[in-house]
Amino acid sequence: MTKILFSDKLDNCVERWKSGGFTIIGPVQRANISTYAAVEHAAELDFGLVLPDRSIKDLFFPQSEPMLRYTIKKESIDTNECLPPAGPRIIFGARPCDASGMSIDDPLFGWDYKDEYWFQRRNESVIITIACTKADDFCMCTSLKMAPDTTKGSDILLRPLAGNKGWQVEELTDRGREAFSAIADILQEGADTLAPLAVVEKKFDLDACVTWLQNPENFESRFWKEISMRCIGCASCTYLCPTCHCFDIQDEGDTYTGIRRKNWDSCSFALFTMHTSGHNPRSTQSARWRQRIMHKFNYFPGKFSVNSCSGCGRCSRQCPVDMGITETLQEISTLSL
Amino acid sequence: MSIEEQYRTRAKELLSGGAVKMVIGYGKGTTANRRRPLFISSPDEVERLVLDDVCITNLSGYLVSEGLLSDEKRVAVFLRPEGIRAINILAAESQLDADQIVIFGFDVNGNEVQALKGIHVEEFADVIGSIKEAAPEAAEEELFEKIEKMSPQERFSFWQEEFAKCIKCYACRQACPMCYCRRCIVDSNQPQWVNTSSHTLGNFEWNIVRAFHLSGRCVECGNCDRACPVNIPLRLINHRMAEEVLGAFDHFSGMSKTQEPVLASFKKDDSETFIL
Repeated sequence: MTKILFSDKLDNCVERWKSGGFTIIGPVQRANISTYAAVEHAAELDFGLVLPDRSIKDLFFPQSEPMLRYTIKKESIDTNECLPPAGPRIIFGARPCDASGMSIDDPLFGWDYKDEYWFQRRNESVIITIACTKADDFCMCTSLKMAPDTTKGSDILLRPLAGNKGWQVEELTDRGREAFSAIADILQEGADTLAPLAVVEKKFDLDACVTWLQNPENFESRFWKEISMRCIGCASCTYLCPTCHCFDIQDEGDTYTGIRRKNWDSCSFALFTMHTSGHNPRSTQSARWRQRIMHKFNYFPGKFSVNSCSGCGRCSRQCPVDMGITETLQEISTLSL
Repeated sequence: MSIEEQYRTRAKELLSGGAVKMVIGYGKGTTANRRRPLFISSPDEVERLVLDDVCITNLSGYLVSEGLLSDEKRVAVFLRPEGIRAINILAAESQLDADQIVIFGFDVNGNEVQALKGIHVEEFADVIGSIKEAAPEAAEEELFEKIEKMSPQERFSFWQEEFAKCIKCYACRQACPMCYCRRCIVDSNQPQWVNTSSHTLGNFEWNIVRAFHLSGRCVECGNCDRACPVNIPLRLINHRMAEEVLGAFDHFSGMSKTQEPVLASFKKDDSETFIL
């Protein structure tokens, strides 16, 4: 016997969680884009998407975050630290790739300093993931040794029932169990037919790629220049990526008062590594693209024992010139034969 | 012989004879309806070139890649009429020597690809002229008309909602053949002219700077609009500015390689006594 959450009861859950102080966030279509946003009612949620255009990273690591406000006085400087808005949240309907993306970044944000902005939001969020029954040409979780029902990073995994009737509940963490104990009476015990999981074709041999990337001889391979010729150097792949985490700190204001902000930054940009002298150690787009791939599949796993990619495929899906992680690793797979 | 085959043959001839050092065209993409920019330097690889109705990206921006044309060798490029206009502007703005560019011109009508006759940019003057004539009558999309009818407040709210989605990935800038500055104003940080933050104000600043810098220069190829990962209808801004410039100065961008840039030139008989 398993617990089942029927779709037509979801609004009762939303009401119950809201009265318990939770903000409810889920996949929505707004202003011609799909994203995760706060909702008042279950009817606003769109479960028909393969996955939203924007990832749930934005909910933990927003594109621009105030860190402190400052005022420079004659003899002193006043600072007021800004911390993220507090309050528990339920993210209902995350995708397994997005949820696992957050757990991939946890060790990074907790490594040489503990990023309070990240962890406060992580600790206050319950991630309720829905396993995928649909995939598109760009989904690649299976190539990353994950699956349409990967549980990593989720507090609850919901497995869709056939006919969109609802979901079978799999409680994974104490945080998830606690959120679901509040709706225990709305859930039903039972067994029902599950909808078949999405079939995600394996696109490249990850192990072969990693071996090739780890070989120092390939750092200067012609491959990097050839594949990067069409890269236009925008940051759309890095900004849509659930695991890309680079940021810049900027002060905005006038001479005496202002605000310090933490803004997304991207290794695709020439300015990212530009030195004050004008020297740029990554002066070409090929050096920048190599860095991105090396970081995700060589350096990051070297440090944190996990690849910095969860296989969502947004990089390839949105790329204006049809290149992303998939296209790159597919070509590396052929080189490493 | 299909146009695709004709152009492959021509590419092979040009590369074999050393008339061009590279052909920039389209290759197969990840999915059936995607094409990717392709750079061919060897005559043996011309079979990889594809030309069909989904070859949409304007490839002219690649020509101003740092160092590509500095050896004075010729480069061939597949271009639709908008791309050909872009070559005229880049030449007029001294970004390239039009004589170095060999054009494989084409246009798409419905599902049909048509070859455009000519090799050098001057030979396409008639094609560009006919686009200018057709432009005012060209059917404008519904959303454009809807925005035109809005009150200033409604229009401001519309764009506020759209710009709120901006993440400052600068895909619009990078995809644009006219955005060739080696260092964009938003990347200048000594001093920092424009906020780097992607908040409402910062997003407005960026998008307004972009719109003004492209006024009278944009060829409406749509690269920015298609590149935008958050679906901001940038084409509508560009189109509005192009209409404005056409109405005020009878200037249609990219008519010839000697056309003066409209916002960087001044005529003594200008009706205004002041220039911005």
